[in-house]
Amino acid sequence: TETIKAVVIDGYPARALWVKEFSNFFIPEVDKKLAETGNFKMDWQESYGGSIVKPKGVLEGVKLGLGDIGIVTTIFHSSKLPSQAISAVTPFVAADSVAVAKAVDEIAKEFPTMQKEFAKQNQVYLATGVVLDTYQVFSKDPITSSKDIEGSKVAGAGMNLRYLEGINGAAGVRGGLTDFYNMLDTGLVDKAMLWPEAAKTFKIAEVAPHMLAVDLGAVNSKTITVNADYWKSLPDEVKTALQDVALMYRDHVAGIAMERAAASRDAYVAAGGTITEASAEDRAAWAAAMPNIAMEWSANLDGKGEPGTDMLKAYLAKLEAAGYTGVRDWTAE
Amino acid sequence: MSPVEIGMASVAAIVFLIYMGVYIPVALGVVSFVSIWLMRDNFDLAMNLLKIAVGDSVMEYTFATVPLFTFMGLVVSKAGLGSDIYDVMSSGFRRVKGGIGMATVGANAVFAAVTGSSIASASVFSKVSVPQMLRYDYNPRFAVGVVAGSSVLGMIIPPSAMLIIYSFVAEQSVGEMFLAGIVPGLMLAVAYVAAIWFMGRFFPKFVGGRPASDYEFLPWSEIASKTLPTLGLIFVVLGGIYTGWLTPVEAGATGSLVALLIALARRTMTLKTFWEALLETGHITASILFLITAASIYSRMLGLAGLPNELGDLLAGSNASFFMIMVIYVVMMLFLGTLLDTASIILIVVPLFLPLVEPMGLSLVWFGIITVVGAEIGLLTPPLGISCFVIKATLNDDRISLKDVFLGALPFAGVMLVVLILLIRFPALSLAILN
Amino acid sequence: MVVSAFRKLVMGLSKATNSVAIGANAAGTLVVLGLVGIVNFDVVARGVFNAPFLGAVEVVQFSMVLIVFLQLPDVVRVNRLTRSDGFLVVIGVKYPRFAASLRHVIDSISAVFMALISIAIWPEFVEMLETRDYFGVPGVFTAPWWPIKLVIFLSATLCTLIFLLKVVRPADKPELVRVPEHEDKT
Ligand code: NA
Ligand code: NA
Repeated sequence: TETIKAVVIDGYPARALWVKEFSNFFIPEVDKKLAETGNFKMDWQESYGGSIVKPKGVLEGVKLGLGDIGIVTTIFHSSKLPSQAISAVTPFVAADSVAVAKAVDEIAKEFPTMQKEFAKQNQVYLATGVVLDTYQVFSKDPITSSKDIEGSKVAGAGMNLRYLEGINGAAGVRGGLTDFYNMLDTGLVDKAMLWPEAAKTFKIAEVAPHMLAVDLGAVNSKTITVNADYWKSLPDEVKTALQDVALMYRDHVAGIAMERAAASRDAYVAAGGTITEASAEDRAAWAAAMPNIAMEWSANLDGKGEPGTDMLKAYLAKLEAAGYTGVRDWTAE
Repeated sequence: MSPVEIGMASVAAIVFLIYMGVYIPVALGVVSFVSIWLMRDNFDLAMNLLKIAVGDSVMEYTFATVPLFTFMGLVVSKAGLGSDIYDVMSSGFRRVKGGIGMATVGANAVFAAVTGSSIASASVFSKVSVPQMLRYDYNPRFAVGVVAGSSVLGMIIPPSAMLIIYSFVAEQSVGEMFLAGIVPGLMLAVAYVAAIWFMGRFFPKFVGGRPASDYEFLPWSEIASKTLPTLGLIFVVLGGIYTGWLTPVEAGATGSLVALLIALARRTMTLKTFWEALLETGHITASILFLITAASIYSRMLGLAGLPNELGDLLAGSNASFFMIMVIYVVMMLFLGTLLDTASIILIVVPLFLPLVEPMGLSLVWFGIITVVGAEIGLLTPPLGISCFVIKATLNDDRISLKDVFLGALPFAGVMLVVLILLIRFPALSLAILN
Repeated sequence: MVVSAFRKLVMGLSKATNSVAIGANAAGTLVVLGLVGIVNFDVVARGVFNAPFLGAVEVVQFSMVLIVFLQLPDVVRVNRLTRSDGFLVVIGVKYPRFAASLRHVIDSISAVFMALISIAIWPEFVEMLETRDYFGVPGVFTAPWWPIKLVIFLSATLCTLIFLLKVVRPADKPELVRVPEHEDKT
């Protein structure tokens, strides 16, 4: 039996969902597969929580060989990994982690763009992780439609701040997830965009007991990658094992995210929160009022000689096949 | 070499180099670089570690608290807020044996709430309160000892550069660390006052001094004008953070602005002193953050070597008790405290012990408080005790030798140690305010 | 002849690097002021005018790099880089020559370390300049990477030079304490 050393890195702590499942699911599954033939055995060194890199440093860490395998949080790297924003630029389509994870993963494999972006960072794409079911709007005051967001201050992060461009007079306020409770509590903001599981974790029901279920959608934010030089050095059997398990990990993590989402919604209500479903017209109106950030995204990729438009179409078609049709056709001007 | 051996060898090498006088960030960086190079037999990997750590470590939003609170502290001390508070306090404590000493502690505790560093406290109060104590025939050793001891409060009571540094290394919220520092800081101040009373009662010769005759109660209007600016600033800074209206960074910036306005209103700030404060802020920021960068290279080297994993396994396998770990931790901090500055101690020991402490389910906020208090004992111990150095340099008085300062500070270092043990034994002292 | 020409060269270079360091220092100092300004601007814009400045985080991060690396050469120049020089001072009393050579060795090591940082960062700068990489959220606020890498590169190079000049120049007078400039109005 040949032993192969693998250093796994992430800047997030071991208790984070995707990290925990890497330890408890990915690694044992790979070990199990390799044990079938007994030719190879992995010697895992798991370095999480800033012991080698910080959350934003995983991409560079894998690129530079400080880690062999990494869990890259792609939303930090809009400029190096532009195509990863695919689900963030297509809101109001699918509030389903499993469907989005599968669709993004297939786009990564059927089109060369995502892999090329990672190749430029000296790494090989392995799997996509979706860890949240959908962004919703949480509010201090009763909220029944997106009209109630008009003129208010809304806490958000990253691309979802741009969703607010579709709401009259709404001002996005940037903040870290851990600050949202305080921001709402003090009235610094009246509303916040986050997903139910985060709302449960940070006890948002105490300060924003009204949720508008507007289903902005699930977003892919994690990618498992392997350093390219390390990948080349691996025997085929190990490569295959990693790729197979990556597929399982993708569905496994997204599945857990969905389970947690349902439980978190119940917990929100149990903690005194009320949930109002947004009407279809309301969602359509919000989506229609937004700038078409999906087309901005695909045009940007097209401009670089990548098949941006085709990827967008193929992605939405995959979601449609899975039963999710958006309230706005993002491929139309 | 196993990871643990690499870890120990690197600490030994770093301590040796620092003792020889190598710049601390250079010692940390070079040892880490060479360790990676030897360990993996890969020069490029060592270069890559430099590449990722430099810049990456500085680009942290919360680090803006370092220049902002430093600047605020400098402006505040130039505006004379320190001596104002002292005046008020000494009018209150004037009749008690050791009263001026107690007043110094009290004034330091209040001043600490608007400054982020012990150096500022030490230099302000050696000029304000040492001459007063000498005038009333206090023992010079006691006089400088009180100032040295209470200067430590500047970095325990928030805002504090050291709490910020810890929160960065351990990935804790700066706001929570600040809140957690309040009770331990006040506790230390009370312990100092009690110790002074005790010394005055049982070792009157060590304290010396006679009751102040010419102090009068300040009129209320004067008390107000001397305390309100500081209280207002504390209200803005800690209030802003506590209510969540301001992030610590924003509180630092707003505090700086308010401090500038106070200085302007009192006409105590010239263009020259303003520029000096900015310049000094830049110097302090650069040297602290470069040190942090180097320490981050070092802690990543330990991570690459697999030391955290190894220590975790070691802990799981053995029955190392909480008690033993804490004893080792405190002894190590006291040892490093003899020759390193506080920031360096935090940056060296925390990455080593975090992987031991985290799996035990202990609060990392609490761990931060005991780390900062433990590391700050080093400010008072020879041969390198920054607070004592600053006092000696600021006084510039041949009658008081560096040895006097260290000997005077010793009882206060002892009190710190006792408080540290209490904080370790009763985590609620640090954590109660958070819940 | 050769010696004096060399000395002249060293003095000239020292003067040049020192004035660059002082200039960078002044620039970094202004960034500190800018930092105070921009954060307060955001607080007021958000609290009073309901219009937060969405680039505050990136601007603050950017300023931190500027402050640290513009000031670092001057910190090196005035000997304020953190160190524990008790041993050097003590040994300098008895063996001044040995202490002086030890200082030179230390400054040489430091020069090598800073040079390694320069060498490590340079390709990063080139890559960022070519790819025009940025950080932040597109459509919200973005800032380019290359100026950051350039400042770090220039700063580390300048520090290398200053350390080298410390080696070839006669040793500075050792001092136990660098008195801080904190002053209270008393
Ligand atoms: Na303080
Ligand atoms: Na010491």
